[in-house]
Amino acid sequence: MPNVDAALAITIGGLVQGSVFAMVAIGFALVYRVTGTVNLAQGAFVVLGALATYSFEQTLGWPVALAAVAALAVAGTTGFVVAVLVFAPGLRRLPPSGMVILTGGLLTLFEGAALLIWGSQSYQLPPFSGYRPVAIAGTHVPTQAFWAIGITAVVVVALWFVLQRTTLGKALRACAENPTAATLMGIDVERVRIFSYTVAAVLGALGGIAVGPIVSLQFDAGRFFTVYGFISVAIGGMSSFVGALCGGFGLGVLQQVGAGYVSSIFATTLSIGLLIVVLVWRPNGLFGRGARREDNRPPGGHALGLRLDVHPRVIRIVAIAAIATIVALPAFVGTGTLSSLCIAGILFIAVMGLDVLMGFAGQISLGHAAFVAIGGYVAAISSVRFGVPPLGGVALGLIASLICAAFLSLVTVRLRGVYMALATLAFGLLVDSLTVGLGGVTGGPSGLTAIPHFSVGGYTFADPRANYYLVWGVAIVVFAGLANILRSDFGRALRAIRTDQTAALALGIAVPRYKLYAFLISAACASIAGSLYAYYFQFLSPEMVSTPRSLEYVTMLVIGGEGTLAGPLLGVLLLVLLPTVVQPLAQVKTLFTGLLLVGGLLYLPTGILGALARAFTRRPAPLAEAAA
Amino acid sequence: MSSAPVALDVRNVTKSFGGVVAVDDVSFRIESGTLTALIGPNGAGKSTLFNLLTNLYHSDAGAVSLYGTPLHALSCDTIATLGLIRTFQTARIFAGMTVLENVLTGLHLGARTPLWAHALQSASARKEERAMRERAQAMLEAVGIAALGDRDAGALPLGLQKIVELVRALIARPRMLLLDEPAAGLNDTETASLAHLLLAIHRSGTTVFVVEHNMSLVMGIADRILVLDAGRLIADGSPNAIQSDAAVIEAYVGRSDPGRPASC
Repeated sequence: MPNVDAALAITIGGLVQGSVFAMVAIGFALVYRVTGTVNLAQGAFVVLGALATYSFEQTLGWPVALAAVAALAVAGTTGFVVAVLVFAPGLRRLPPSGMVILTGGLLTLFEGAALLIWGSQSYQLPPFSGYRPVAIAGTHVPTQAFWAIGITAVVVVALWFVLQRTTLGKALRACAENPTAATLMGIDVERVRIFSYTVAAVLGALGGIAVGPIVSLQFDAGRFFTVYGFISVAIGGMSSFVGALCGGFGLGVLQQVGAGYVSSIFATTLSIGLLIVVLVWRPNGLFGRGARREDNRPPGGHALGLRLDVHPRVIRIVAIAAIATIVALPAFVGTGTLSSLCIAGILFIAVMGLDVLMGFAGQISLGHAAFVAIGGYVAAISSVRFGVPPLGGVALGLIASLICAAFLSLVTVRLRGVYMALATLAFGLLVDSLTVGLGGVTGGPSGLTAIPHFSVGGYTFADPRANYYLVWGVAIVVFAGLANILRSDFGRALRAIRTDQTAALALGIAVPRYKLYAFLISAACASIAGSLYAYYFQFLSPEMVSTPRSLEYVTMLVIGGEGTLAGPLLGVLLLVLLPTVVQPLAQVKTLFTGLLLVGGLLYLPTGILGALARAFTRRPAPLAEAAA
Repeated sequence: MSSAPVALDVRNVTKSFGGVVAVDDVSFRIESGTLTALIGPNGAGKSTLFNLLTNLYHSDAGAVSLYGTPLHALSCDTIATLGLIRTFQTARIFAGMTVLENVLTGLHLGARTPLWAHALQSASARKEERAMRERAQAMLEAVGIAALGDRDAGALPLGLQKIVELVRALIARPRMLLLDEPAAGLNDTETASLAHLLLAIHRSGTTVFVVEHNMSLVMGIADRILVLDAGRLIADGSPNAIQSDAAVIEAYVGRSDPGRPASC
């Protein structure tokens, strides 16, 4: 019966894929248990393990066992160094939601580094025991499947033994239960954290080595494993190893069955949909137990808003000078720079929106690009396929974005901090999969072409200069409108919510409603930016508006300075213009973005603007004098 | 007792955490315009009771109503709109915002301008903002901290933070003010000026319900004192009656509990 054969093949394929998901998921659970952090860089170690093995085995000609051990050593060392230099310092300074961004930055940094070392082509390892498959019940199973599943089994048993039977395991579990009490009992919590991160890195690499002969991997495959490893562990329960294991294998089989019987787009959408349902309905996961860790550390570091103490007259002068510069600039720059400035203006609009949500209301979004995508695709599709004039396209995009934002906000209203960040991330991934998967409508991975120029009332914004004035005109209007509302009672209510929700509620601030408003405003800005993006380039591809862009927007915001609208401007200009001015930077753009995000979070908590403000403002007089 | 309307009516409220009954079948009424204090040893359930009044916790049994409105199904922020405004045991100030901005958040309930009017800076939006700032400034001056208006409230010492929190609650014009240990962490001078402030609030007609440890403060200003011990209401009366109440004395000093300081 061919159907049975196909079903068996699909199931085995699912178990193999699931074994990698499980390995990544166990790494997630380990780091989460010990540190309360969702480590988005986890998937990068899978790629590191596989590509390092490839280099040792194929380029240097080492035997496979030696190459694998060497790759594990490389991954372990890398994990250790990252833990010491970035992860552990981050834990001391950042709230859990900040840690999510930090590890997102690490993922970007790893991708950038892998691109420099291995280039953009994909690699596949040779199987450990030859290409000849084994026949089971009439189905041919590649021998590597046994390796992948067997390695996972060994890892699970070994990890169980370490956790349950050794002093180290006890220390690890103690840190997970209560870090303060663990410290008081003489456990070096920092060392345990670094250890767990290193072990998680090695586990990820092991998964990569096991699966390397089955799937081909390239520099940015890490995000795929991060996403699916994370879905596995979130479904199973963030801190449950059993849950991670079941979640991983279950997701692997689900993926293969969905892809085998319906389509791969269906499988992806189903997985991410499942994640959103679990996050909202059972944040502890199906196997989770007890109360989840709340994000109740007081906001510190970057979470604290930046306050600029500048005289209104100075602000007016700066604003007039800025507008004059914007108006005059096209006369002095070439077409290339003008085009970069257009992009900067569009991104400025999007990042201002993100700032309302993150910098003012304190809600972290890792899915901001999804609304840029909705605004862009709805506008482009309605103009290309239905002949809707651009202004109508922008409006339709706006409506679609606001509906999605309202829905997402209502569903996630009770989620806080880390969980909110992850729900937005999941939403972003869902939109990613739809832009790629609904090829008939969106043009698929190769993108949507022949989008008309923006036009209004018979005037077409065809040349770069007209587009420049269009984009910056909109940016100035958005800036002015946002500045006005953020200075009012509305802005104060948002900042109050960011600092202390309970105190805000006690003063009668309707917290869920204000979060919804902030979310709608941010989505509206992103949507407008997305529409302008599509009409400006006359082309839109999923890659231009996918989840890695969300991390770029966060980077721009963090680097520029959250909580003021001028911060996004600095961040956007830095990330857009610097690579065009300093040519070598363009090649290492991904690495550069990751470095900026990680470095900014750790060493520049209030961004460039905050650092400038500190340098140029006087320290307040001692309290006694002021009170006297 | 008096013919004043009942501001707060607490009936048979009970709350337990796991096996511990923190608030055990507590009932009392507070008349409008009075200054009532709630005292009791550490762990007696005073803060829990306060959190139950504003629905920060939900009671297992019993009912609370404010001027006749049942609070049972309302959210924390809706309760605030009814005029029940509270402060917290540890001053919950909005750090990163100035003292003036903190006080302005207390005026949130009075804000009427729609968002679009703010975006366009309409005349009415500007007028409302100016009026709010003037009121907040006047309030800071009345309390004598106008010089601190543009300071980061989070950088102030605890005593001043508690004053700012009190001013922030007061400017909301509450019908009833709940103060959770306003004198905790204050020095003697600060406590004395707090007493003056509380009396002034009381004289203005606001109903005040205060949890406090500082006995001399409570005895000096309260009309009536409720005593809570181990989750139960053990005494209710005038300051003089409470001072000589046998059950109260036992609750505070009578037990051979070496861990609990006898002075109060």
